[in-house]
This record gives sequence, structure tokens and C-alpha cells, in this order.
Amino acid sequence: MQTVIIKNLTKKFGSTVAIDNMSLNIEKGKITGLIGADGAGKTTLLRTIIGLLLPNDGEINILGFNPITQKDELNLHIGYMPQKFGLYEDLTVIENLRLYADLKGVAHDFDKMLEFTTLAPFQDRLAGALSGGMKQKLGLACTLLGNPEFLLLDEPSVGVDPISRRDLMKMVREMINPETTVLWSTAYLDEAHSFDTAVVIDKGKVIYEGNPHDLASTPQEFENKVIDLMGGYNKEESLIAKNYDYKAPDVELTVEADNLEKRYGNFYAVKNNTFKIKKGEIFGLLGPNGAGKSTSFKMMCGLARPTSGTARIMGIDIKSQPEKARANLGYMAQKFSLYGSLTVRENLDFFALAYGISLLKKEEKVNEVIEVFGLKEYENSKAEDLPLGLKQRLSMAAALIHNPPVLFLDEPTSGVDVLTRRDFWNHIISLSKKGVTIMVTTHFMDEAEYCDRISLFYHGETIAVGTPTELKQQAGANDMETAFINLIKESER
Amino acid sequence: MKILLALIKKEIKQILRDPSSIVIAFVLPIISISIYMYGINLDSVKITMGIKNDDNSPEVATLVKSFGHSKYVNSINFDNMEDIKTAVLSSKIKGAIVIPNDFSTNLSRNHRANLLVITDGSEVNTANYVQSYALAISNQWLLRGKYRGLVQKPLINIENRTWYNPDLNSHHFIVPGSIAITMTLIGILLTSLVIAREWERGTMEALLSTKVRAIHIVLGKYIPYFVLGMLSTAFNMFLCVCVFQIPFRGSYLMFFLISGVFLFTSLGIGLMISTALKNQFMASMVSISVGFMPALMLSGLLFPINSMPTFFQYLTMIIPPRYYVSFIESEFMAGGVNEIRLANAFYLTVLGLLLFAGVYKKTQMRLEASCPPLEGGPKSLISRRGDD
Repeated sequence: MQTVIIKNLTKKFGSTVAIDNMSLNIEKGKITGLIGADGAGKTTLLRTIIGLLLPNDGEINILGFNPITQKDELNLHIGYMPQKFGLYEDLTVIENLRLYADLKGVAHDFDKMLEFTTLAPFQDRLAGALSGGMKQKLGLACTLLGNPEFLLLDEPSVGVDPISRRDLMKMVREMINPETTVLWSTAYLDEAHSFDTAVVIDKGKVIYEGNPHDLASTPQEFENKVIDLMGGYNKEESLIAKNYDYKAPDVELTVEADNLEKRYGNFYAVKNNTFKIKKGEIFGLLGPNGAGKSTSFKMMCGLARPTSGTARIMGIDIKSQPEKARANLGYMAQKFSLYGSLTVRENLDFFALAYGISLLKKEEKVNEVIEVFGLKEYENSKAEDLPLGLKQRLSMAAALIHNPPVLFLDEPTSGVDVLTRRDFWNHIISLSKKGVTIMVTTHFMDEAEYCDRISLFYHGETIAVGTPTELKQQAGANDMETAFINLIKESER
Repeated sequence: MKILLALIKKEIKQILRDPSSIVIAFVLPIISISIYMYGINLDSVKITMGIKNDDNSPEVATLVKSFGHSKYVNSINFDNMEDIKTAVLSSKIKGAIVIPNDFSTNLSRNHRANLLVITDGSEVNTANYVQSYALAISNQWLLRGKYRGLVQKPLINIENRTWYNPDLNSHHFIVPGSIAITMTLIGILLTSLVIAREWERGTMEALLSTKVRAIHIVLGKYIPYFVLGMLSTAFNMFLCVCVFQIPFRGSYLMFFLISGVFLFTSLGIGLMISTALKNQFMASMVSISVGFMPALMLSGLLFPINSMPTFFQYLTMIIPPRYYVSFIESEFMAGGVNEIRLANAFYLTVLGLLLFAGVYKKTQMRLEASCPPLEGGPKSLISRRGDD
């Protein structure tokens, strides 16, 4: 029995082919992972399946309905969670649930759902005030209302911590019945490895379809296999690191946090945060959503004022000499913070001048950066039109244009596909080998393994510090993700 | 029906939690009516004029005096032209009168006497007042003084009677007219954001995969904002009639009925903009330029339509506030005139229904979506109506 039958499907936007003569069947009662690079056509495929988009050519049959002509009937049988979750941020948790229950024509019986999502204590909180992980759970709860036969989830786990991701997976598995079909688009290959079926798409075509365990027995191997399928990643010498004009500083501890604290009323966003980072170290800041990682980052680069304590960059106090300290710093914010309507070159021109590169040297510097970051092809494209991976690369280029000895990266790989992430970390590691100090946050536990040392952050406090090996030993775990979850659970006791 | 109710409930909660809609509906009227009441004045006002008298005869001295005693004019005496020039430049006086040295001699000889009136052409309205005041005051002086005999008796006696607004108080029509401005703001500016917001925040995509149909989406927006708009209209009416004591001679039933029709039309424009653009920033810009500006300038509220160039006179025909302003003015000042009510209500209904049909037709149940980046340009949602 098939839930989805697609034959020779083509979907074009103007002259761009998003889905290219695709044929695909999805079996009923199975959880299928949809994997692909940014712009591979995952979202377009999901939207076409439920009739939000109309295909240019081909046949499509979902649960026996034709989404082109029978969208209304089909809607009664599906649950779809779009990338932005579809929540009303100015309604409370319970109001969102009630709204979607009415829209789907199901009874207002949310007790089980609220208990299961652990949202019960937050019923009356506005959805906009929830943490990322909780928003996702609420989005999923709204999608699951009415027990749909076919559940479509568009990258539900982007930017959430391992604990929330694990909860989300558990929620889906326990709330569905054996008859339910799930199509789950994801950038996490360990997630996809645990599903019944994996569909890998690239440039609008299916390049693999089958049991993920047939491809590889472990998630790590699976990731390598998928990368091979996508054309393989050739690790090359990092041009970014090679061309980096690094001047060795005379201080050994390039970044120090000294009892950093940020308090809002009685609430401590960050408390007693102390650590020291050595020259050339990659220091990972890990922790669940809302643990205070971004607040620490902002305080350390002088964007937020600590309520007590201070930080030093290259020995310069960020509180008393913020500008001087910041001159040694490249900062890449969590949100894309370049000018969307400016081209790649114009953005770099601006940041070159903003970081104090002289007008005479600017042209040369920007040309060089465009070259080594591989942005030549896109230099005249608007920043907002770039795919996510390239946007992140451009953000990094802007943060590095003045060759700072210290680099702060706040979730640089959130929502980025696996190939781009590999490439990104190749550059980060090469830069650190040259002597650049890097502080980075991430929710990808495989990335945490690349760090020299990790600080695990929870409820505004450091609960563990050490090398990845030390942390795994401390938690008695074989992999970073289990270590992360064990250490957090332990601290809760 | 249950779906529509759920959407309306949701919308009302959003309105109540968004202070900006409450500000536009209830605070803005207070500000705008106060401005129209105390800030704007289209009536004649007291004007300060300069007088330079070169004729030393005692008769002429009484002319100078009558300028000083007029209830429309303040006068300041000047000795030379230079000072007058400076005073006009610094706006101390709005114009000046120069009485030449042969003024009384000419009159005594039964010759035509000249009087120079200088006005400031940079303020055209005031310049007109200066001219007519100067003429009126000097004519009156002529009738009272020594030269009375020289004036021929006018053969026609004009008696003035001003209907509907005997005091010629412009507040009586401008203040109620501001109701039209507030209602345009609620109807167009506020609602132009609400559908665009659902697209921007991604909630529309979620709605479209539920049982919701186009008619639910459209009515789910029309109804709550209609209620908000009518509440605001009632509040405006309360301000005009009870607080600012503007006389209202029409029927309250007709007033609210036709205001409702006008609101329906305004909502249509706002929702049309929102549905078509799907982008809050663009929608607000467009709604100000096609909604608010014409309401202010082309509705006939501040500038009479029959003194506009022909092209603009025709243009006003597609501007809903034009009909509403004309209705409000007649309802407030003349009391109910059925021809005016009917004509304006008819045009508003036709425009409103056309817009409603347009909004319904434009509300799509699919997204013809984001082009892949780079080749396709920005992530825009291009509309294509579903064929369901």
C-alpha cells in the first residue's frame, strides 16, 4: 500500500527546474526521511505533495487523492508542519491548539497532548515567548491534532538542541499509529538514519531511496555515504586559512571570561561564567536552547553589558575598552545580519570599511576575500537571494575580512546542509592551526567533536568543561550526544 | 461556520493584544478631531496690516482710525516704505495700505482718489482677505464721513442668509469630516497589514493545509475589522457630538448604516492591497498613498471638488471617502437629505461589492512559491489562484 505515488513529476519556477522528472513512492505506515542539500527541492516536493504548489508535468497521487484537483479532500487526511511552524505568536499555547482544533474540526481534548509535550505548565504563555524547542513541540502538537493519516514535517529540528530533538522524535513515534505515514525532511543525518526509509534528493532528482541501514550501519558512515552520493566532499587545503594574515599576539590566553553574569530582575540569564581560552584553541559552547549561550556571546563582544564580572579579549577589558577589545574580534551572529538588498561585493565593501580597512587597500582586500571564499560567481547577486550555505559563507567572510586573531561564531551551521558544514569546519580547523582562537556554539554533536575543549552550559551556568573525550568519560557515554544528554540530566538532579 | 468563528475569535484576540490597532481606533480620533477643531481654521481671521499715511488732513486721520477699530483688522502705523518691507518680510504684517498725499485733495475736488494696497502673495488666501478688508473699510468710511454726498446710493440692496451653517463656522463640517479620515485609516492601513502578516509569518501556509476555505479567510478578516471600525465610528461620533458640541441634524440610524457601507468599502481596499502584496512594508506604503492621501486631499473635505481640475474631478469618483464626506456633511449640517443619502450609499455599495469580489477572487488556496534562490530572484510568493 502506497501513500505517495509520484510519476515523472516536474516543477519549474520560471526557467529553474526545482523537481526534475521525479518518480517516487512512499509506503504507508513508514517513517521516511527526506534528505538533500540546500535548494535540492525538499520543500518544493513537500508543498507539491499536498497541493500547495501545482506541478508543471507528471502524475501525483496522495492517499488516493489528486492534490491538483482534490486539495480540499486531501487536507482532511494530512498534517503539515511548515518550516516556520505556522504558529500565531500573539496567541497563547492553548489558544493555538484550540484554533487548529477548530480549523481541523476536532474536539478540544488537549490533556494528553499537553502532558506529552510537557507544555502543560506553559498553557497560557504566548507562543512567541516560548523557546525554540517548545515552539517546535507546539507546532508539532497542532499538526498532530486529528490524528492525520499522513504527516509531513519540513525540517522540524533546525536549530534545536539534542534534547529537544530527541523529545520531538519520541513525540512523533508515540503519537502516531502503525498506519500513519510520516515524511520528515531533515538536515540531521543521524536522525534520518533512524528512520524506516531514506530518500536522498539532489538537484530535483532522487539519488537514493531505501533503508538507511542498507547504506550504512552507523550514523557516521551513513553521513559519509550520503556525502558520496551527493558528489563527495574533497577536503582541500583551506584557501581562507592560507591567505589569512595572522599576527601572533603576545598574550597566551586570548579570550577570558571572568565571573560573567547577566541578570534580569531575579532571573540569571548567565551566572558565574568563567573560562579561559588559549591561543589557537577551538572552544565549543554547548547547551540547550535558552541556556544563555548567545547572551554570553553578546556580553563577550561588548554588545550586552554584564551586570557583574567582565571579559578580556587579547588581554583587553571589554567593559572598560570595548572598542579596542572588539578590534581584535570577528563576530558571526546567529541570525543572518548582512544587508539583504546589497550584493555580495557591496556587503564586503561595507564591512571592510566598517572594520577600518583603508580606502586604498579595500579593493584589493575585497577581491582577495571574494576569491578565497569562492564567492566570485555570486559577487553581483543580492545577499538575500543566496542559498543558506552561501549566506553563512558570506557572513563568515565579512567577519574575517580584517583578519582578527579571535573569532566568535554563534551557531554558524544552523540549517546548513552536510556538505557545506564539512567545508565550513575544514576552514575553522585550518584557521585554528594557524593560531586563530575560535569560540563557537552548535547544536550538531558531531561538530562538537572537532572542538579542542567544550563548555557545557545549562540554566546560565557551566556544568562541565573539558575535551570531548573527557566529557564522554565523565558522562560514561560513547558519543557526544549521549554525553550531552546525560550531563544535563545529571545536573538536574 | 465553526471554522469562521474560530478565525474571527483568533483575529479579535490578535487585535486586542496589538496596541497599535487600539491606538488607531480610539486614540487617533481624539488627536485628529482635536487638530481639526483647534488646529485648522478655514474662516476669516483678524489680520494685522500696516498703514502709511502721507495725507495730513483730519478727514484722512479718521480713515486711519477706522482701520484700527475694525473687528477684522489690527493696524500698525509706518513712516516709510523700508519699514513696511521689513515688517512684511518678518510676517509682522500681512499687508499694508498707503494713503498718498493728494488723497483728500482729490476727493474734495470730486476726483478719483487712489489708495495703494500691498499684499503678501506668498499667502494667497490672506492676501485676498487684506484686499477685501481694505476695500470694505474704506467704503464704509466714505459713507460715514464728510464725503458721504459723493457716493451714489446703491440701487440693489443685498440681504445675506446662509443656510445650514449660519455662522459660516467651518468646524461644523471639517470636524465630522475627520471621521472619514479615521475610518479610512482603520479600513485601509490596519487591514492592509493583516493578510500580508499571515504570509510573512508562515501561518498562511499552515492554514492552507487545514479545512479552511477562501471564504473563511476573507470573512475572517472582514468581520472583526468591521466591528472594530464601527466601534471607532461610534466613539468618533461621541467625540464630535457630545464632547465638541458639533450640531448634528441628521438621523443616527442612517449615519451608522451608511458609515457601515463606507467601512465595508474601505476594508475592501485594505484587504485587496494586503492580499495582492503579501508584504507588510509594501502594503503599508501603498495603503498610505492610495488610501490615506486621497482621502485627505481628494475627498472634498479640505479642498472643494468643483474647484479641482477636470481630470481630478473625475478621479474623485473612484475614491470612496468622496461619497462618504459628502454624505457626512449633509447629514450633519442639512439633516437627512434622501437624495444625497441614496446616491452616496449606492456608489459606496457598488465599490464595496466590487472590492469584496476582488478580494475573494485574489485569495488563493495555494502558494505558487518561492523560486529557488539566485536564478529566481527574491523569495516572493507569486499569486496563482487555485482551480478548486
